[in-house]
Amino acid sequence: MDRSLQVVMMYILTHLGLIFFLYPANIIESTDQGHWIPISLGIIIHIAFVLLYLKGLSFFPGRNIITIYSSFGKVYLILFLLPVFLYFISAAIIIVRAYSEILTIIFLANTPLWALMALLLFIPLFLSIQGVQAIFRTGILVSFLFLPFLLFVLIVSFQNVDVSYLYPIWNNDFSFITKQSYINSFFAISGGFLFLGFVQPEISFQRKKIVIAFAAVIPAFILSVYIPLLTFGKATAETFVFPFVLALDTIALSWIMFDRATVFFLLSLITFIMLFITLVLWKASIIIHHSFPSIKTGYIVAALTIVIYIACLLIPNWQQVQMLFKWNSVLRFYVLFTVPLSICFLGHLSKKKVY
Amino acid sequence: MLKKIILFSVLPFLIFPLSGCWDNRDINHRVMPISIGVSKMDEGYKVFLQIPEPAPDRLGTRIVTGEGETINQIIDNISVNMESAVDLLHVKVIVVDKRLAEEGLNDLISGFIRSRDVSAKAVIAICDDDIDQFFQSMENSEGQEGTILLDYFEKYSGWDPHIALSRVWEVYRSSHSYTRDVAIPMLKRGQTTFLEIVGSAVIKNGKLVEVISSDETLLYNAFKNKSTRGKIEVLDQASVMVISNDTDYKTEFTDQTPSLQTTFNFSVMILETNGNPSAQEIKKNLEELLLDRYKALVVKLKTSEADILGIGQHFRKEIPRKDLKNWRSDYYPNLEFNPIIHVDIQNYGNLKHTAN
Repeated sequence: MDRSLQVVMMYILTHLGLIFFLYPANIIESTDQGHWIPISLGIIIHIAFVLLYLKGLSFFPGRNIITIYSSFGKVYLILFLLPVFLYFISAAIIIVRAYSEILTIIFLANTPLWALMALLLFIPLFLSIQGVQAIFRTGILVSFLFLPFLLFVLIVSFQNVDVSYLYPIWNNDFSFITKQSYINSFFAISGGFLFLGFVQPEISFQRKKIVIAFAAVIPAFILSVYIPLLTFGKATAETFVFPFVLALDTIALSWIMFDRATVFFLLSLITFIMLFITLVLWKASIIIHHSFPSIKTGYIVAALTIVIYIACLLIPNWQQVQMLFKWNSVLRFYVLFTVPLSICFLGHLSKKKVY
Repeated sequence: MLKKIILFSVLPFLIFPLSGCWDNRDINHRVMPISIGVSKMDEGYKVFLQIPEPAPDRLGTRIVTGEGETINQIIDNISVNMESAVDLLHVKVIVVDKRLAEEGLNDLISGFIRSRDVSAKAVIAICDDDIDQFFQSMENSEGQEGTILLDYFEKYSGWDPHIALSRVWEVYRSSHSYTRDVAIPMLKRGQTTFLEIVGSAVIKNGKLVEVISSDETLLYNAFKNKSTRGKIEVLDQASVMVISNDTDYKTEFTDQTPSLQTTFNFSVMILETNGNPSAQEIKKNLEELLLDRYKALVVKLKTSEADILGIGQHFRKEIPRKDLKNWRSDYYPNLEFNPIIHVDIQNYGNLKHTAN
């Protein structure tokens, strides 16, 4: 059965969750003017590698990347799948820790971190034990419930926009490419699309339909940076850790019964992020399951959750989260570049063998 | 089967964490001040909290004060001493005294933005009076609803086009922005009304540098394309009411000199006349009056190097970013400002206009 809609929705939701998080601050910090240049560069890289990845997967209909790599031997498995696994674990740790910190900074100042992190992990744990089909069906449900909110918030966020802040529009200085903050922005660009290679054969989808998802994700990349920039200007926006959240704080709507539109926005994003963590847990668990088929996936997920939870508890402050981001960037780029390229390469190789 | 029984008997317990009972304070155990006042002492601050208190048939006001080194310490102390916890979530108006504004608001404002206790949308005002008495009189005045300061600034109740409405985030933006300052309203206790507007304080990089009158504030609002509807202008021969206004800008940048041509279109309605002036006369006089006021305002602002009109915004295209940093000191004083005022008399009220 064709489940393209579920895949497209999952793609949109997880990316929205990642983009509206640290991406705006990273991009705003990376350059002084002409922010559309780093944004477009990121989008181009994103689209190029997603298309490459899909192209590579099309050589192996109905197979996921674990079976693809393992059919070429143990070396491939260790060379490509092990970093992917490590990347998933570290990404989950960072996401859980950072999001619980955001929650405390933004609206739950008194709630202990351990409780927030337990919540952020418990629901993904439960959901990922239910298996891939349940995850994707939940994605559809969540998008029905929360995407309208998000759309509403995005529309009203234009309230305090001043177009003069668009200028100066051009920038001859391309030094942002080597800046750490720009490298960190790839967290939103590289992390979300790998699931496309894991879902087959349980969930089959048409490659073309993913292009629809680009249409939703590209504006999100641009708006997440430009709404705070046009509201505050670069000089002010760069002082914020979460510029987009502050930009939402400035919205004054007297006819809405809730004072802060930010809460709607954040709660939607948190459900998206829970879905993302669910996907990550599930992907990591099937990688382990493939290597140790005798262990039940349920136990693997539970063990992974406990490892992630303990790791999160060991991170004491925001400074350390930033450090993790830095260390994680090596894995991030390795995964971003090597997985799509290697799948594509192996695809061509296998094609030659057949004929 | 056994597994399912265990599962379903455990599931109901999940309902307990849902209540969030470990750190939640019920609404009846919180006090939520609507406005707070901050004044500078020789060392540290003094804070006034205006708390609405439900009395039998009206809403009363209670004023709580505290002194200390930092705002958070004071709020914390008040919280300790009160029977319920102070929650600043619903603070809508922040009143600071003039001395604090002169010394600089940056620390105060960035504290609000940093902790997010106080909404970034709160309106900020300056008290040009003894702030102790200002708040005391709020408590004493009979029949005063607890929301007087809030109502004064709300667009749907007390706000008027000669009040500069500025919010915390705008003040924060002005202290970082290269090309934008902000005006905030200045209040004092009135004779017969509770409040009286003094004018607006011009805040440059978080510091009070100049005071403009409330007539000039109207021009400030018109410049920012805010509605000035309802404002009444009195001339020698007539008084008119502004019905609508809009503003167009044309910028030029030659030889490092910015020049701005602004066209203001006011639609007015005649309310009263003195003698029998012609429409042409009224129009001409009103245009002259507004033109003179605009010129005076800009001269005043240029000397204080505070760009509350956000004129620098229009030159972001021409001035490179590294020079834009010095907009206030290098370019702004040389600004050529050419206001053009168009007044259109939309109607003459209920009487036919018979003048020649």
